[in-house]
Amino acid sequence: MKILRKTLLAGLALPVLLASAAAMAGEVTLLFWPGPESEAMQKVVDAYNAGPGQADGITVKQLLFSRQGYFEKEQADLAAGSSEFDVALVTTYTLGRYAPFLDPIDTQIPAAARTEFAPVALQSLTFDGKLYGVPTDISVHFLYYRKDLVDRLLSDPEWQKRYAEIAREKLGKDLKPKAPDDWSWDDWIAAALFFSAADNPDSPTRFGTVLQMKNLIFNIMLWQATLVSNGGDWLGPDGKPTIDGAAGRTGLQVYKTLIDAKATPPGSISYEYPEANAAFQAGQAATMLQWNAAFNELNDPAKSPTVAGKIGLAPLPAGSAGHKSHVHSLGIGLNTASKNKAEAGKFLAWLATRDAMTVYAQAGGTPPVPAILKAMAATRPEFPLVGDHVARYGFVVTGGTAAYAVPVYEVLAEKFSAFWAGQIDLDTALKQAAEGMADRIKG
Amino acid sequence: MASTAGAGGRRRPYEGRWDGLWLLGPMLLFLAALLGFPAVANLVYSLSEVRFTGLWSPRWVGLGNYRAVLADPAFWGAVGFSARFAVVVTAAQLLLGFALVLALDPLIAKRRWLMAFLLLPMMVSPALLGVMYRLMLNDFVGVIPQYLQMVGFSDNLLGVDWAFTTVAVIEVLQWTPFAFLALLTAYQAIPSDLVEAARIDGAGPWAVFRRITLPLMVPALAITGFIRFIDSFRVFDHIYVLTGGGPGTLTQSLSIYIYRTFFQQGRIGPAVAASMLLLLASIVVLRLLMAQMLRGSRG
Repeated sequence: MKILRKTLLAGLALPVLLASAAAMAGEVTLLFWPGPESEAMQKVVDAYNAGPGQADGITVKQLLFSRQGYFEKEQADLAAGSSEFDVALVTTYTLGRYAPFLDPIDTQIPAAARTEFAPVALQSLTFDGKLYGVPTDISVHFLYYRKDLVDRLLSDPEWQKRYAEIAREKLGKDLKPKAPDDWSWDDWIAAALFFSAADNPDSPTRFGTVLQMKNLIFNIMLWQATLVSNGGDWLGPDGKPTIDGAAGRTGLQVYKTLIDAKATPPGSISYEYPEANAAFQAGQAATMLQWNAAFNELNDPAKSPTVAGKIGLAPLPAGSAGHKSHVHSLGIGLNTASKNKAEAGKFLAWLATRDAMTVYAQAGGTPPVPAILKAMAATRPEFPLVGDHVARYGFVVTGGTAAYAVPVYEVLAEKFSAFWAGQIDLDTALKQAAEGMADRIKG
Repeated sequence: MASTAGAGGRRRPYEGRWDGLWLLGPMLLFLAALLGFPAVANLVYSLSEVRFTGLWSPRWVGLGNYRAVLADPAFWGAVGFSARFAVVVTAAQLLLGFALVLALDPLIAKRRWLMAFLLLPMMVSPALLGVMYRLMLNDFVGVIPQYLQMVGFSDNLLGVDWAFTTVAVIEVLQWTPFAFLALLTAYQAIPSDLVEAARIDGAGPWAVFRRITLPLMVPALAITGFIRFIDSFRVFDHIYVLTGGGPGTLTQSLSIYIYRTFFQQGRIGPAVAASMLLLLASIVVLRLLMAQMLRGSRG
């Protein structure tokens, strides 16, 4: 019996000893999500560990949570006061929720270093006047289109005649083909109908576009250009939801018109980023509203032989308020519960340098540093456009960095995907969305 | 253990009285840490207003969270989906599993390797299965729509009309092997002399099945059905990966509802209250089933 008791006590003591041995001095853990960003970040981490990290006596390592449900897991760990990681991924839309568990990094990132970054990127990671993350990636949306097809539309009288007929018949409007840089939402819808087999049996593509309509918050970020470009916003000056106004109505109908007309694949209702890319990559869709991150892969002849070299980029179609695009940043913030804050601060200070951001860009990231984006135009032709579109068309909806941002996105995704799928009508979707928003904002 | 030790082999009345506790201790500690503490914490949270910024300082609101959940149409929609989903897939798994047992039992007796092959689907994680089907159902690169289009079917399998059927079929394909395995074990335990005697008495295959096989399989069917029902009722992974609970809330199970309420909406109290209601319902069903089983075994 004595042996049994000793064994049990030893068994209980073992995890405590192992846990205490795990905390190592001079080691900084970066919590990140797997994918292209973490692959690029690994190159940055390697560069730090091989260079400045040697002098600082610091080694940085990445800890990857799975991408599915990443933010929920990170939030739970931050809220629980976990010190298993020192620095972590932060985003514009989760900043308000994470800020209570993060340390501001204004002291670690000197003013001189900040001048390298696009001001909107710094603003998008600023909460209550304090900077909470080193911006590492900026995201903006483009209208992707097939240059070969649109060029022919702009030059072939037969195609132009058919385009005008479809616009008149389906939209009740007299429209002529224009260059995509000048498209309004109506021009885009007309082009999408023209390039769809459902309305034009001679169309070279099966679908005029491919929408992302799954019940997912990122799809609402993409959609909300239709709202803001028509003068809408989440909230009015009184802080109350205005999503159910005329702009929201117009924006929702843009998507609904396209899915009802079969100008986007019927499966769009369950599509998100990869499905839309697959459709465009296969040459089955003539246009697509998509994140800037997709261009590199779609324009790679090895990965996308059908469309590489044939892709044009334009701003998202214009509404009454002109062209608009949702913008957000990813960045790296400092965990309040970290036990290695001094070491983590040194790493963050280095991360904010042009050297580090250059390594990140060369490894596939999109750092919001205009000088780097311009310098890499030869290898990443979309980079200068990213900087340009962010500056000219970028917006962050009112409340887009608040603690209630994700719950609001979530309710919009649920109600609007239900409308697009035909489960509820437009009035119900807008009413329930506005009520849901008010409820989430109230908390 | 030490109960017979002592002078002359005489049993000392108090010797070894703590041995049982020592043996039970680790398990009791384990249960207290992994089940007891979370249960108490959940009970407190379900009766409190609590936020991520104040996990250690919940504010007492009594039954407010329960009232909010019970008044939420989305909660009842999720309960309805989970119940319908669980009933449909459990029935399908039992029917298919039993049919496979009857068809494959003679074959498996001779080729044991077939068993490993048949059990393969349930070795795959449900989330991974969701990712696999997301690829296979893709309109442009997926094999399933390609074959369906060849026979003139071009509807979206994850759209309003087909989403329920699609996610249910995936669940059935993954977990029918479990029903098959459980039912096969029970089937092989049926005494062969009973079947032989019936045949000698002139019973045909149908009569043997109806009078002997089926009655003896009922307990196994009930247990398998119960396990599969509980498991299917709390379905999450592959549905979340495939549809995100949509379109709208069309495929939102109770687990997805709880997850969304907790993490995405940050409404911790109502989410935990919904979990407690689910636990309560499970306990009631389990209690009724146990009572039925005990009555059956006594009879």
